Amino acid sequence: MSTTATHESSEFSPVSAGSGADLVLSGISKHFADFTAVQEMDLSIPSGTFIALLGPSGCGKTTTLRMIAGLEAPTSGTITIGGEDMTRLPSHKRPVNTVFQSYALFPHMSILDNVAFGLKQKRDKDAIAKAKAGLEMVELSHLASRKPAQLSGGQQQRVALARALVNRPRVLLLDEPLGALDMKLRRQMQVELKKIQMEVGLTFIHVTHDQEEAMTMADVVAVMNQGRIEQMGSPRELYELPRTAFVANFLGKSNLMEGAVVADAGPAIVVDVAGQRFELLKERAVATEGKIVVGVRPEKMRIAELDKPGFEHAGNQLVGTVTDASFTGVSTEYLVDVPGVGTVGTFTQNLGQDPARPGDKVRMSWEPEYTFGLGADEDLEAGVQAS
Amino acid sequence: MSAPAKEARAVEKVDLRSPEEIRAEKKKGRMGAWLILPGMLYMALFFAAPVVVLLSMSLFVKPEGAELGEFVPGWNFGTYAEVWNRYWPVLLRSFVFALIATVAALIIAFPMAYLVAVRLRGKPLLKGILLVLLIAPFFSSFILRTQAWKQILADEGWIVQTLKAVAILPADGSLTATPFAVICGLTYNFLPFMMLPIYASLERLDTRLLEASGDLYASPAQTFMKVTLPQSMPGVFAGTLLTFIPAAGDYVNAAILGNNRDTSMIGQVIDSRFFKVIDYPGAAALSFILMVCILILVLIYIRRFGTKDLF
Repeated sequence: MSTTATHESSEFSPVSAGSGADLVLSGISKHFADFTAVQEMDLSIPSGTFIALLGPSGCGKTTTLRMIAGLEAPTSGTITIGGEDMTRLPSHKRPVNTVFQSYALFPHMSILDNVAFGLKQKRDKDAIAKAKAGLEMVELSHLASRKPAQLSGGQQQRVALARALVNRPRVLLLDEPLGALDMKLRRQMQVELKKIQMEVGLTFIHVTHDQEEAMTMADVVAVMNQGRIEQMGSPRELYELPRTAFVANFLGKSNLMEGAVVADAGPAIVVDVAGQRFELLKERAVATEGKIVVGVRPEKMRIAELDKPGFEHAGNQLVGTVTDASFTGVSTEYLVDVPGVGTVGTFTQNLGQDPARPGDKVRMSWEPEYTFGLGADEDLEAGVQAS
Repeated sequence: MSAPAKEARAVEKVDLRSPEEIRAEKKKGRMGAWLILPGMLYMALFFAAPVVVLLSMSLFVKPEGAELGEFVPGWNFGTYAEVWNRYWPVLLRSFVFALIATVAALIIAFPMAYLVAVRLRGKPLLKGILLVLLIAPFFSSFILRTQAWKQILADEGWIVQTLKAVAILPADGSLTATPFAVICGLTYNFLPFMMLPIYASLERLDTRLLEASGDLYASPAQTFMKVTLPQSMPGVFAGTLLTFIPAAGDYVNAAILGNNRDTSMIGQVIDSRFFKVIDYPGAAALSFILMVCILILVLIYIRRFGTKDLF
């Protein structure tokens, strides 16, 4: 997962005050007839933040978005924007605009009329001029008189974005707006969206199930699962120090191992995992006593043939047998069976060395400060994605 | 380019297809012709031929000292002038009645269609029941249902009694045998023709567009005017045509629910010209005038509202 490395700068720092306003959800719940979509959610988003609500389908992220937009009424709790209570306000009275997943462009109107719709509703005298400027921003001025059906998916997506943005809402909601685009266009739009958000300085709330998209674009990522926010923070924070197994698995990949704390070494603790002793910093552990789960990201590990002379290993070590080695060019990915622990995944960058083969005995190691500790009652498979 | 060169290229083009392909395509073409043949024959026999007969009949001449119903072929265009001068007020009334009935049917049908097609989405049982309830009456006889309106609007009926009680209707007022009754009948009888096309187009309405409209500051009423209504225009357009055209030529409603003074419609006149007065050329001329008038009105309507965006 190389995306974090390129985003040193995405520490939590709201971009200029802009025209946005603080959005506060307090104790928001949404119950449908037979299930609970959102449970007691508290979320405070400073103005100008680009936040991603990330989670698998059915985690409540879209419901949360729809409640902010006023398209769904919360069962309990309040929503305020800049201190004003919005909870009971119908959608057309909220200073919020949405970019819908389906784009929802009006098929009977021209592109320009679509973009000018909100401005005309607000009786803005410069509606047409502002709509034209909006189209300019998304580089579609030349298609102003076309109908939505005559545009490609990517173009429609940009029209939907312009239609929402020209109103300068206090909060802009994006409901998986890139979901229908192909990979290349998606990457391009991610960059453009981020650029536009920096320019206009509005609060963006972006719902997505694509962890890479969330990490690339957002200042803050809130990982949602079963109607709750599991963890929230900058992409780097979440990636380097996940607090639950779900976050550890959903955001990138993790090796999670069950163990027990056997010694206290000042700032660190020593954990026994199937006879192996690992060091773990207390500040990186959710629990520091009794049974815990120890985790490490695959790319933090080194791997070498057992007792390879001259190979420098780090403090925490595991020994196992390679069961699978797949060469991808840039790197070789290994699955290693470690007795008492299970399968551990890791990879090595291709530096010209001879890769290990299935059946080889190997030693893996990593620095104690890359280790993280989770509570004992975590489901190690939570949030694991198929791919 | 010289002519032979051109020819050579044309030959080349034809040669791109193998003989089997050419045969297959020719066969396909013949197949298509065979398939439309029954329809063409039917139209020729039951539409084109009668129109020609009607047209020639309208020009027939009544010979000197002829018996009742005896006419000979001729070119008597005078019949047109005669029936037009005599019956244009009835023709006008027919169109006015049809127009009022069409507008009334639209006002009644739209909310019903909207309820079933949009509001009851995701409730298939309720939707099914309502649809059946709306359509079921039309399985019973047209005449019977029209007769029923006589009872509904009768002087002893609760409608008249109520209207008299609140003084909307004078004490000696009556609703039977009035233009009102005829329009009620027309509206009711053609309601399904209005409702079903509107229902079909509202059924396809993407409700996410309504959410988007609300999200862009449009109140529910504004959303209706700017999104729902334009999106359902193809249905409204088809419905109004399907109601207006047959209503303008209808005679059953006027015959059953009307009177002899101010409710007769052109259909009735044509009926009595044909079968009571036995004036075949006059009836044929009136039929033809009705057809042309409807055609002109419909063309104007299509020109005005039936833009290419609707279809």
